Amino acid sequence: MNNIRLVSLLASVLLGLAGCGGGSTPEPPVVAPPPPPISKAEAFRFLNQATFGATEAEADALISMRYEQWIDNQMRVPMSSQMPHMLALPPPDFMGQLHNDRVDIWFRNSLHGEDQLRQRVAFALSEVFVVSQLGALQARPFAVADFYDMLARNAFGNYRDLIGEVTLHPAMGVYLSMLGNRAPNEALNIRPDENYARELMQLFSIGLVELNIDGTERLVEGQPVPTYDQAIIEGFAHVFTGWTWANAGWFNNRWPPTSSQYLPMELWPDYHDTGSKQLLDDVLLPAGQTGEQDLADALDNIFNHPNVGPFMAIRLIQRLTTSNPSPAYVQRVAETFNDNGSGVRGDLGAVIRAILLDPEARPANPTMMAGKLKEPLLRLTQLYRAYEATSASGKFPLSYLHAVFGQGPLQAHHVFNFFSPFYAPPGEIRDAGLVAPELEIATEYLNTFFTNFILWQTFGLNHTNPNLEEDQIYITFQQEMDIAANTAALVDLVAGKLLGGEISDTLRTEVGGMVDRLQPTDTALRAAEAIYLITTSPEFAYQR
Amino acid sequence: MKTVNRRDFLRTSSAAAFFAATPGLAWSQVVGGPGPFDDYKALVCVFLHGGNDSFNMLVPNTTAEYNAYAVSRQNLALLQSDLLPITPASSAGPDYGLHPAMGETQRLFQAGRAAFVANVGPLVEPTTRDQYFQGSVTLPPQLFSHNDQQDQWASLRGNVPSKTGWGGRMADLIRNSVTEQLMATNISVAGTDLFQSADETVAYVMGANGPLQFEGFSTNPEDIRYEQRQAFLRIVDASYDSIYERGFADVQRRAVDAADQVSAAIANVPPLNTVFPQSQLGTQLRTVARLIASRDELQMQRQIFFVAVGGFDSHDDQNQNQPGLLGGVSDAIAAFYDATVELQVDQMVTTFTQSDFGRTLTSNGDGTDHAWGGNQLVVGGAVNGGDLYGNYPVLEIGGPEDVGGGRIIPSTSADQYAATLSRWFGIPEVDLDVVAPSLSNFIQRDLGFML
Repeated sequence: MNNIRLVSLLASVLLGLAGCGGGSTPEPPVVAPPPPPISKAEAFRFLNQATFGATEAEADALISMRYEQWIDNQMRVPMSSQMPHMLALPPPDFMGQLHNDRVDIWFRNSLHGEDQLRQRVAFALSEVFVVSQLGALQARPFAVADFYDMLARNAFGNYRDLIGEVTLHPAMGVYLSMLGNRAPNEALNIRPDENYARELMQLFSIGLVELNIDGTERLVEGQPVPTYDQAIIEGFAHVFTGWTWANAGWFNNRWPPTSSQYLPMELWPDYHDTGSKQLLDDVLLPAGQTGEQDLADALDNIFNHPNVGPFMAIRLIQRLTTSNPSPAYVQRVAETFNDNGSGVRGDLGAVIRAILLDPEARPANPTMMAGKLKEPLLRLTQLYRAYEATSASGKFPLSYLHAVFGQGPLQAHHVFNFFSPFYAPPGEIRDAGLVAPELEIATEYLNTFFTNFILWQTFGLNHTNPNLEEDQIYITFQQEMDIAANTAALVDLVAGKLLGGEISDTLRTEVGGMVDRLQPTDTALRAAEAIYLITTSPEFAYQR
Repeated sequence: MKTVNRRDFLRTSSAAAFFAATPGLAWSQVVGGPGPFDDYKALVCVFLHGGNDSFNMLVPNTTAEYNAYAVSRQNLALLQSDLLPITPASSAGPDYGLHPAMGETQRLFQAGRAAFVANVGPLVEPTTRDQYFQGSVTLPPQLFSHNDQQDQWASLRGNVPSKTGWGGRMADLIRNSVTEQLMATNISVAGTDLFQSADETVAYVMGANGPLQFEGFSTNPEDIRYEQRQAFLRIVDASYDSIYERGFADVQRRAVDAADQVSAAIANVPPLNTVFPQSQLGTQLRTVARLIASRDELQMQRQIFFVAVGGFDSHDDQNQNQPGLLGGVSDAIAAFYDATVELQVDQMVTTFTQSDFGRTLTSNGDGTDHAWGGNQLVVGGAVNGGDLYGNYPVLEIGGPEDVGGGRIIPSTSADQYAATLSRWFGIPEVDLDVVAPSLSNFIQRDLGFML
């Protein structure tokens, strides 16, 4: 049965809120047994889905308050932002170097922010609504930081507001070239830029083909049905004309004031196309509307397309809980998108709740396709949270990560994110018709680099190293060293912190065997060895 | 649990052993394919991510054709006086000019080492403008979309959902002819790509500078790091319940298997005298050259390399960015060709470009949008160079090949392009349709640009 419904029903009975549905005869109170306590392993699974890495302290907190209340709390705590930090920085020698500070504050917020769920959802959204420091935004670090804050602000808000803010954000304007896009000039063979129009539909909202509510493709005579054609792309491309930097001074100004990087784009009516525009579902926008009217109508047109619910359900489920949700799971989440229970469409807070509380995200007996591979960045943040990573300066100078992990915060190589939602590696996963998006960047090269990175982090960059530099990030494992002479206790301690205590016999045996080869007095080496082997193991890479 | 899934990696014995252990199943019965090779050949795919505006890479240079181009392209047109002229050998008709940043390509073209294939792109069958608008031909799905058209170039699967790439299928077809190879046929120095994805063989992905060593491991049994390596491998080889753990463990295993051997082979290669550009593409192609130099040590007979560079999605600032983009490609490919001459393998190595699509002839103000057909460059000592293959289109808005906004229907299919390269690589005629599934829909099975 559905524990969650029982729990909330029980809670409402206890609070005396039941039976106010207007029925004439009050229902006798349902007596349900209290839900079984959340185990530490279950708490770890949930926290790896909902935060930047489970810790024992957070697991204890979750166990004491249960999932629903934990989510409620998370949705209430104040948001951690990047922009106050960015704006307080001294003027840089060159603008692009502030991306280092942007990545620094991303790590600080992701590791230490109280608003873990919001930050984790913002990161998930940043892998759907992709902008990147690599490319046209290289010299616009404020735009990229503010874009992330905007995603975090809208993480539990409404999807319609979110795409409105995404569309007018100058980071997106630059990245997908809507900024400066203008009405056609047929004499010069100039027509509106189609970049944003296409990717908004393909990647941010409805996808290429019509979907059923459960996310499967709708087939007509055995064939998928395209959601849009070139005429519709051109219609939207005409909608997205006339917008440029705030306070631009002139429409084509490329170097407006710095503050324009974090203000919504502004409309220049003379550059907006005033003709009629073909949209989705045979809607034709009339000629002569203002740029704002066109924009609002066009985004409403997309927002109300039946694909958005299942499309966003799959995208967010894949980022948070599992690579291969069942159609029923997708449908439950998509129905929540379509109606949050109060008649509101697009309530992302309700969607996140539905994703995390769904029985399929909390299975008692996981199938072989349950869960997902952790992204390398999330493997790193989990290690850092479990072992209190910091540096003497407090900084996290990790802006090079994209080159060695295949990903970094807002550092995708293109608008298609670090990996494709459809990636199916050769072998049993592809043969079974399943996907494993994160495996696309688990290449031999990147895995080797990650393994080496963890080696340096554990054996070299730890609290016992007397030669650490100001900005070098180190982890702390004094607790482990204190008991390191006892191999079994050491393995238990590390497995408890990194795996929630769920460790296979093989991993326990192998880690113990390697620790035993080290002198009992080499406590730092023993601690480092155990953390190294567990952090690089398939078990740690797997999010249950 | 892991008996078969990595059998294609270190080929020395495991694959043969697997089939030897399967009664009644001989290699030759499993797949057709060529016999053993007595030579070495390599294909190098240079993928230009984002959609190269190749109608500014290769431009008509006779008055009428240039004028049509200039009228269509307006503020994006190159000046005729800036073009680097080339004269295709077999062309009685127009001359052409290269983008002014492509001096190195002009040098290779004039030396007969470079060829262009005009207006090539994904097609399921020959397609005219009328057929396009009548819907009377099968079209590749999701035309003008980046990832879908990248997938088309990589997979050549038309409207069949793509699971394997044509590089991957070539590796599968020749796998029993290259059993002595110590490394995978498909090597990427630019990440995972569908082009190299296969049913039976696995591509090996290394970094732009080559493979990495595992710093924590040693193969010397005296070293504690040897024990660490063995423990790591026993963990990786354990049986796992989840497909994600198994998929991850497979990669870890391949990475360890390859790291020592390949790194050692590359380290033994004497340094190249050829100077490569300090660019992303230059770095990747330098690594490919070093891998080719280590081919004998790794007993390689057939190799397919994948390199890639991005930035070609020129919706904005095209005039500012194009010289750097095209000049970068030209310089890096030319340096790589020179390195193959230095290594005395120039006859055995063929480099070719692919890109998502060509771009609109019309402008969006300061850039171009996604289109369809485009021109591609092929370089190498075995290329029938100094010539242009296929049919260069009429660059007119509303012209006979324009489906709107200057989106040009390809006159040559990517399948024909791939099949021509595959035949040279040693794929038997009968198997070309496996590599290029739509090939049979086209009359010309070989475009003739390979000697």
